[in-house]
Amino acid sequence: MAGWAGQDTRSAMHELSLALGLIGQLLALAEEHQARKILKVRVTIGPFSGMVTDSFSFGFDALKQENTLTRESALIIETPDPEYTCLQCGNCFTCPAGHVPGPRTFTADLPCPDCGSEHCTAKGGDELILKQLEME
Amino acid sequence: MCDVCGCQLTDTSDKRIVEVNQSLLEANDRQGDANRTHIERMGAVAINLISSPGAGKTTLLEHTIDALGSKLRIGVIEGDIETERDADRIRAKGVAAVQLTTGGACHLDAPLVHKGLHALEDQANSNGETAGGRKYDLIFIENVGNLVCPATFYLGEHKRVILVSVPEGSDKPAKYPTTFRGADLFVITKTDLLDYFDFSLDEADKEAVRIRPELEIMHLSATTGDGFTAWIDWLKKLVA
Repeated sequence: MAGWAGQDTRSAMHELSLALGLIGQLLALAEEHQARKILKVRVTIGPFSGMVTDSFSFGFDALKQENTLTRESALIIETPDPEYTCLQCGNCFTCPAGHVPGPRTFTADLPCPDCGSEHCTAKGGDELILKQLEME
Repeated sequence: MCDVCGCQLTDTSDKRIVEVNQSLLEANDRQGDANRTHIERMGAVAINLISSPGAGKTTLLEHTIDALGSKLRIGVIEGDIETERDADRIRAKGVAAVQLTTGGACHLDAPLVHKGLHALEDQANSNGETAGGRKYDLIFIENVGNLVCPATFYLGEHKRVILVSVPEGSDKPAKYPTTFRGADLFVITKTDLLDYFDFSLDEADKEAVRIRPELEIMHLSATTGDGFTAWIDWLKKLVA
């Protein structure tokens, strides 16, 4: 798979693997759209995807230097609000401000805002998506 | 701005916005789906084993081969950063094994497992199995020892099994929730050591289920055989 990180020994950290995979996707899309360079790269990284966004940016900024097509690409990371489902009452809600979101945030310390149950589970949030490109 | 002279009269800029909406894991996941087809064509069910280094993945496999090796055709793909040691341990049990060395990478990905599957198929063919027919019942993919990175990469497996050993501590599900969210079965290993470590089975189970309510859980010791039958029965049911 062109550009995929599988056989590249630089993929020691999984964020770096994914950054390397993204560069491969960008090169293929630039060719498909006959672009000279890619200016903006908009990605969505789910709050429970297990990705450290700083490591991902760091990897991307290092790897993008290797291609003229990506050298000027600015990476814009969007992180959707973490969502949860209460297993007791079925209520869906987002993590209140001031709390550190995590798949097991809603425990005894922070129960369901509706019914008070501490049996809440993370809803989705594992997405890693290349949303949109700006190219010329 | 004009590209030729820099004047502002003509706008030759051809900036474009392209909506992509592709998964960052698309290439991996596509290969994962192809792996799944390949595994099923060989007649097998595949299990992705994930744990920290030293949780007992290879030991569990050795005992599993002892218990099932005469009834089922088992193949093993071993993922490690370096060395053939784990594959050698499996081969010593008389079972087909392929060692994948990642050369530094902290996880297996689908393209690497694709190679492993072909190598496993070649071994079955050279053992006189008819090409194109059923070659394995059960394929284990032992991931690189790491409780974080392997969780992100779908390899084409049917079931994902997470192992945590008693010496590691019962806080592992709470500390590595992403890994547990994607699991089908959680196995607590080395339960013969429970008397010597401050490990609460109850805490580990409760945290794991909190993260993934439909998770199956087992407690076992490969050394003493305690709880081992449940694991073997689970595997038998998978291939039935």
